[in-house]
Amino acid sequence: MKVSIRPDHRALAEALRLRVLEGPGETRPELRLASAERAAGGPASEARFDDLARQIGEAAHRVTDAQVSSVLTATGSEKAAFEIIVAAALGAGLSRWQQAMKVLDEVANAPARN
Amino acid sequence: MRLPEIERGDGVANRLLISLISTVSGMRLPDAARVAFYHRDFFGTPMGAWTQAAMRGPSSWSVAERELMACMVAKWNACAFCVGAHGAVAAKEMQRPVVNEAIADFRAAPISGHLKSALAFLEVMTLRPKDLKAEHARAALGAGLSVEALTDAIAVGALFGIVTRYADALDFALPTPAEFERAANMLLKRGYAS
Repeated sequence: MKVSIRPDHRALAEALRLRVLEGPGETRPELRLASAERAAGGPASEARFDDLARQIGEAAHRVTDAQVSSVLTATGSEKAAFEIIVAAALGAGLSRWQQAMKVLDEVANAPARN
Repeated sequence: MRLPEIERGDGVANRLLISLISTVSGMRLPDAARVAFYHRDFFGTPMGAWTQAAMRGPSSWSVAERELMACMVAKWNACAFCVGAHGAVAAKEMQRPVVNEAIADFRAAPISGHLKSALAFLEVMTLRPKDLKAEHARAALGAGLSVEALTDAIAVGALFGIVTRYADALDFALPTPAEFERAANMLLKRGYAS
């Protein structure tokens, strides 16, 4: 018998957020979290990382080699620069996830009108 | 800017794997797969788990419909790599002209009303997230989408809001149309879990 279990998107999103923004890595979790928040439209992060995180959030197709290179120089390793890049991408994507689920929950959980 | 470590793979096992897959498939392994292998414990594993569930897990949306959603998010984010990659997968089950019409103007394309309603929601979510309000969810549900179907669509929208951004920041190499076709076969067969 085949049993189809629906994906638990909320749990999967939270597992991804926890691993990338709070888990161990080559960069400090606070730096990853600040980059994620910046890409989601939040406050400026550390100057050396701010421009890339902001650009990834606003329009990643306009990211320049200089912006990535600057973070690579600041972190000193490709793995660390990769962590900043995916943290920023995650911040932009998960902020949309949270906003979309908030408005869906508002409607789905609203008391039925007679 | 491309990172050389992602290009060649981190560690001997990943380098061999990239080389093997490229040889067997007869094409350069696309950068999306190279990223999935890179620093895998940090990103590829949790990202792959959610992506596989959203794109291939149980859902009222077909695989092609979900791939078209990914393609449309890529279009709105101006990510040429993801438009090509996910448009090619969608075209495996939909007709290619249908995919092209959707990319040009999804509201006029010959796709279902449900899919148009989901795409209308995802368009606001992707381009103007601060403008996304309960009225948008109400419109989608009012058009007949279930809460589960809209949740599944939102998951695709969120995931490709992430993928398109790192694809462009890391300057993914653009495969040829023939390579996108072959990569689409691989994505259909193997899915997204890394």
